[in-house]
Amino acid sequence: MPSSKKLHQAKVLLHRPAGKEYYRLVLLAPALAAAAAPGHFVMLRVSANLDPLLARPFGISSVISKRSIELYYRVAGRGTTLLTRVTPGHTLSVLGPLGNGFPVPDKAVTPLLIAGGSGFPPLLYFAARYGKQARLFVGSRDKECLPPAAVMKDLRSRTKAIHYATEDGSRGTCGFVTDSLAGYLARPGRGETPVIYACGPHEMLASVSRLAADHSIPCYVSMEERMACGLGVCMGCSVSMKAGGYKRVCKEGPVFLSSDIDWKDRVVLPVLQWK
Amino acid sequence: MRSAKNKTVKSGNPVTRGIKPDLSVDFAGIKLKNPVLTASGTFGYGEEFADIIDLNKLGGVIVKGVSLKPIKGNPPPRIWETPSGMLNAIGLENPGVDVFLREKLPFLRNYDTAVLVNIFGYSLEEYVGVAERLDGVPGVSGIEVNISCPNVKAGGIVFGTDLKAAFELLSAVRKATRLPVIAKLSPNVTDITAFAKTARDAGCDGLSLINTLLGMAIDIRCRRPRLANCTGGLSGPAIRPVAVRMVWQAAKAVDLPIIGMGGIMTHEDALEFILAGASAVAVGTANFVNPRATLDIIRDLETFLTQEGIGSVKELVGQVRVA
Repeated sequence: MPSSKKLHQAKVLLHRPAGKEYYRLVLLAPALAAAAAPGHFVMLRVSANLDPLLARPFGISSVISKRSIELYYRVAGRGTTLLTRVTPGHTLSVLGPLGNGFPVPDKAVTPLLIAGGSGFPPLLYFAARYGKQARLFVGSRDKECLPPAAVMKDLRSRTKAIHYATEDGSRGTCGFVTDSLAGYLARPGRGETPVIYACGPHEMLASVSRLAADHSIPCYVSMEERMACGLGVCMGCSVSMKAGGYKRVCKEGPVFLSSDIDWKDRVVLPVLQWK
Repeated sequence: MRSAKNKTVKSGNPVTRGIKPDLSVDFAGIKLKNPVLTASGTFGYGEEFADIIDLNKLGGVIVKGVSLKPIKGNPPPRIWETPSGMLNAIGLENPGVDVFLREKLPFLRNYDTAVLVNIFGYSLEEYVGVAERLDGVPGVSGIEVNISCPNVKAGGIVFGTDLKAAFELLSAVRKATRLPVIAKLSPNVTDITAFAKTARDAGCDGLSLINTLLGMAIDIRCRRPRLANCTGGLSGPAIRPVAVRMVWQAAKAVDLPIIGMGGIMTHEDALEFILAGASAVAVGTANFVNPRATLDIIRDLETFLTQEGIGSVKELVGQVRVA
């Protein structure tokens, strides 16, 4: 008789704003916490009814006291808007841990962690486990959209170095996080064997993939796609592979070798300005 | 024309004598331990759900549609959530019948649940090809024919929206196999009863309805459709009233057993379809909302029958009272 080890009823222990842009959510779910590794995600039902109909995917940013999982999110649409109304003490249905997770880095490797926008949570967990030799490149639109101060403080203690980039120049390099990465790759640290682990907007991942290919660096990307089931049955989240066919972001992913992906198949459309 | 069976609930019913209500159904010769199946395209081939629910408890699994050759599917975005529903334009991605038989069916055969194989194609020959490959295969209890595909050889007319094309297709599939043939009807038609009769005349053993409703959503900021395919199939609670109505109409038009589906989330939803005329139901989108939905529905159906003093679910089929 199979246990419902993937479906959990998780009590909300903590739910509060983190910085100007994000919320931090901590859920009590011991069986889930015990099985969660960096790069895994969960499908969270954000309300107790059918609005919104589908669960929402969130990357796991940390496991606390072996009993709870931590998530960070930004309000991006209807689901996350409704989620902000949930208070501690509520119980939410959570499916997980899902996905393949990041491959464990070799001890000789210097992980280059590339976090764009709200993509930082899985890399936060990665840094907690394997971050000692890692360089973190974190980028966003402006300094308000960088990961919250408490998160950055935590990351500073867990990694070798942090490079900031903001598109408006309010912190660190003025430009994209990939500009910051390109700068480093032009003059890499001595004796470092880099491997890239990236999480963020699709265009950023495509850019990182190109840079990695240019410098012949292995590059793992945590992909994102709209999901209905999170289990691998609806086939909604498929991403196109260079070798042909599709793989499921929720099942064979979300972490893929960037060189395996057919980046041209998924077009991210620009938001048009109203006249 | 279905005969009016105005059976009143027998007094001294089996339930009060401590006997569990009977959930079993004989659907076109297929023995189902209960009337709850999983809908095609929402449960894969069972493997992903095996960790989450006991597949042995299901009445049956209708697998993701199988075609003759592997099909890649549509580029993303393939899905979009709508109020009480979702649009999908997956594009019938599947590994093809050979891989299904070699790698997917063996897993499902480990479980005590009926396996119905949903089949499709883009020409009559493709449908017949799959039906022939499945004929006589141990473990396959029946075939569900997805007729909502375009006939690429006839200018892309959708089989399921053209009576002549539907008749030719279903007759050909009927000839190609001895398995029970269930026609999965498209709701994107003016008169569902015409297609129900066509399926009966073509020799089908049963019907399943409804498939998804054709829909669309637009991203107003990019001014583009939300789906790469532009249009997609709408499923979920939003379509349930349309589905119940069509099951009711089809059940009055033909004597074939019906698998009712369209937005079933709870046992109450399932009962609507049963009262409308369905002998069995299929649960689809609900699996994404609550992975345990099917088992919850089975359990709650049993509780309902017990509380109402009804000895068998079969007593409720088609029992909606109209005037």
